[in-house]
Amino acid sequence: MTQGRSAAIESRRNTFTRHGVRRGFLAAQPLAIGVFVYGVTFGLLALGSGLSVVDAVLMSATVYSATAQVAALSAIGQGASIIACVSTVMLLNARYLLYGASLRPWLGQAPPVGAYGSLYLLGDANWLLSMRVHDAGEDDAGFVLGSGLATFAPWIAGTLLGGAVGHWIPGPRALGLDFLLVAFCAAMLMGMWRAHASLWPAMAAFIAAAAADRWAPPGWTVVAAGLAGAAVAGWRHRDDPRPPSAA
Amino acid sequence: MTNQPGFLWMLTALALASYACRAGGFWLMRFIAVTARLEAALRAAPLAVMVGVVAPAALRGGIPELTGLAVVALAMWWRRNDVMAMLAGVAAVAIARACLA
Repeated sequence: MTQGRSAAIESRRNTFTRHGVRRGFLAAQPLAIGVFVYGVTFGLLALGSGLSVVDAVLMSATVYSATAQVAALSAIGQGASIIACVSTVMLLNARYLLYGASLRPWLGQAPPVGAYGSLYLLGDANWLLSMRVHDAGEDDAGFVLGSGLATFAPWIAGTLLGGAVGHWIPGPRALGLDFLLVAFCAAMLMGMWRAHASLWPAMAAFIAAAAADRWAPPGWTVVAAGLAGAAVAGWRHRDDPRPPSAA
Repeated sequence: MTNQPGFLWMLTALALASYACRAGGFWLMRFIAVTARLEAALRAAPLAVMVGVVAPAALRGGIPELTGLAVVALAMWWRRNDVMAMLAGVAAVAIARACLA
């Protein structure tokens, strides 16, 4: 993506240490409040759907995906079968296949327990944050685990509070928190933008996102954009004057 | 459905499905040689996903959302601090919604 990046990769040693975990945990703190409020909302919603607090927390701790959990709750409420609910969750979480694949060159250097544990805690925001800092030179894959912990913990705490206490917090919409991930992405997009490398993948992603947003079922927009952007970047790779990196 | 065996089975199935997505892409890449071209594609994925998150908000957003995006862009241009830009954008959306409500 950047000039001189392949040389940097070769000379970099990928590690997985608690210093990286700590850096990730601290760097993801600004995201924690938004996740917490969403957790509270999910707790309330689960309570309204007839789940106990324990069930709600169990669901948050095992499924760990706001959109998939809400969709599954509504499907369960309508008496959907296990297969239908599983398909819903897989569709809404299909983007994680791409996230995991993109982490392989970096997180693959970590011990398997660390890597697969980090993946358990993977979310949209902490993946984006991790890829961003990795692009900027962070080589400690502990960052992925740390930023995952920083967003997983408030999700559980929020679910617990929402399920236990109920309505004392204004809705995330009134606080603008439904916009948090959009604002985060818009800011990082500008931070990561590189004049030559970014334009065509971003255009492809935009067209794919607009089309999927309009015609595909919910859950496909991010997948379509990610695949289209990645495909164009891969396809245009031959135009890159740099020698290919030793991968 | 509180802690009924049926619900716990359902939850187990959903948890496995969710984790299969989280770990599946990473696991599959064990069997695929990461060529320079594939690496270029994977490196572009975060940017493309960000476009995928922002595009629908920009396309179907009202005045608050578009104001929020403008505030993020201005804040980034001014200070290049993404946390500050993010929080300023969220605050702008909340204020605009309160004003327009």
